[in-house]
Amino acid sequence: MKPALIQCRGLLVGYEGRAVLPPIDVDVRAGSFVVVAGRNGSGKSTWFRTALGLLPPVGGSLVRADSVRPTYMPQRMRFDDLTPVTVAQVVGMGTLRGWSFLRPGGGAQAAAAMERLGITSLAGRTFRSLSEGQKQKVLLARIVASGANIALLDEPTAAMDHAAERETLEVLASLHRELGLAVVVVSHHLAAAVPFATDAIFFDPDAGQVVAGSAREVFRHPAFLARHGELHLG
Amino acid sequence: MVDLATAWELFRDAIVCAVLAGVVLGGLGVHVVVRRMVFASAALAEAAALGVMIGFFVEIYSGLAVPPSLTAIGVALLAAVGLAWRPEAVSREVILAAVWIGSAALALVVGASITQEAHDVAEILLGSAVLVRPEDLWRVAGSSVFVAGAAAVLHRGLVFAGFDEETARVHGLPVRALEVALWALITIQVATCTRALGALPVFAFSVLPGAAALLWVGRLQAAFPVAAALGAVSGAGGFLLAFVFDLPVGASQAGVATALFACGMLWSRARSSALLR
Repeated sequence: MKPALIQCRGLLVGYEGRAVLPPIDVDVRAGSFVVVAGRNGSGKSTWFRTALGLLPPVGGSLVRADSVRPTYMPQRMRFDDLTPVTVAQVVGMGTLRGWSFLRPGGGAQAAAAMERLGITSLAGRTFRSLSEGQKQKVLLARIVASGANIALLDEPTAAMDHAAERETLEVLASLHRELGLAVVVVSHHLAAAVPFATDAIFFDPDAGQVVAGSAREVFRHPAFLARHGELHLG
Repeated sequence: MVDLATAWELFRDAIVCAVLAGVVLGGLGVHVVVRRMVFASAALAEAAALGVMIGFFVEIYSGLAVPPSLTAIGVALLAAVGLAWRPEAVSREVILAAVWIGSAALALVVGASITQEAHDVAEILLGSAVLVRPEDLWRVAGSSVFVAGAAAVLHRGLVFAGFDEETARVHGLPVRALEVALWALITIQVATCTRALGALPVFAFSVLPGAAALLWVGRLQAAFPVAAALGAVSGAGGFLLAFVFDLPVGASQAGVATALFACGMLWSRARSSALLR
């Protein structure tokens, strides 16, 4: 079994010291592809943001391995369109870690990442002028440029039609396969994401439970079946 | 009337000072505009003006000669700390309003106690300074070199944290420290330039050239040098117009900056219309 990059034991997540979910026990392992499911307001984004270190845990234990090198793809509305950064700049941001912005570099990694995603021709365009599908490719290129070993993506296909959604998930799956990247993806469109999943986490606030484990276990769990019915697991 | 060559000898320091202020504040203004904190520089300029007055006040009533530039930086830094370390429950706009109102009110109170310096006070608030003291020029020059250098070193971090703060935090960038550093740089330049040029043109330089540049070029990277150039044009052009038409200098400089911004708006509108056709 591969080592855990993120380990939650009895983790309580929430706001202002108040937990919004029961204790969570989850391991996100190197090389896994984890689909995070649950309806709006189920607390999945709260867990997600806690795991990323953007929110402090309310209680329990959250351990991130020393080797963890995370990157993140926020929801699209979190980008401020007032800032006219170019595609090359956005991809280049992926190469920055800690205080590395103080010295030049990262251009070659960014160029290689853009080439891999087939967006070199967009390098000089502003990010805000792109279509949703192009923006997602740019953000995927940023993940590649980051050299991360775990990528957490918050509803990356929310504004896409089925074809673009499928294409994005396939790119993500290829990064997972070829780079050994652990992927944790929040998705409402389970039918598209499930075929790629090795593991899953299901947040069910009505039943007051969080189900985590292999994709097969979670998607056949009675709590999940009661909400979503049977899914084709591939 | 004084001819232009004689005028240059007389006003050279003031023009050089205005150009330096315009270049550096213009460049910083791009960060100010894209981070939606345009009134922060107004509040800081007001706090700096209050600081200058406190410097005069202390000298008059205690005999202690404190350089007004230092008191300006001190009070403006206090205001910046309030802006940067606000509680989560309070929006930035509320703190800005509190800083601006508090500084303006205290400036009136302190200003009423230093009537001997009333002319200097008017210069500080409105920017009617025609002449710049040599020591102020050197302070503005030193501050400009330091602030421009530091902003260049921090540039990539500032852009990342400004565009996508959460991912920057996930990547371990010192987002909070970067924000504090940006506030500190703006504060130092605003406070130093306010003493030399006045609050109104300093506020104008720190917002309008940056906003105009973003409209003219539409690219963040190109906006910085263009904003610096527009800031220089506002500073020198405003001074020239004031000389030719006998206008208040600060108002003239702010007017040129506003005109450049208006041109940027028209240019941007025309370009959008052409693209739609």
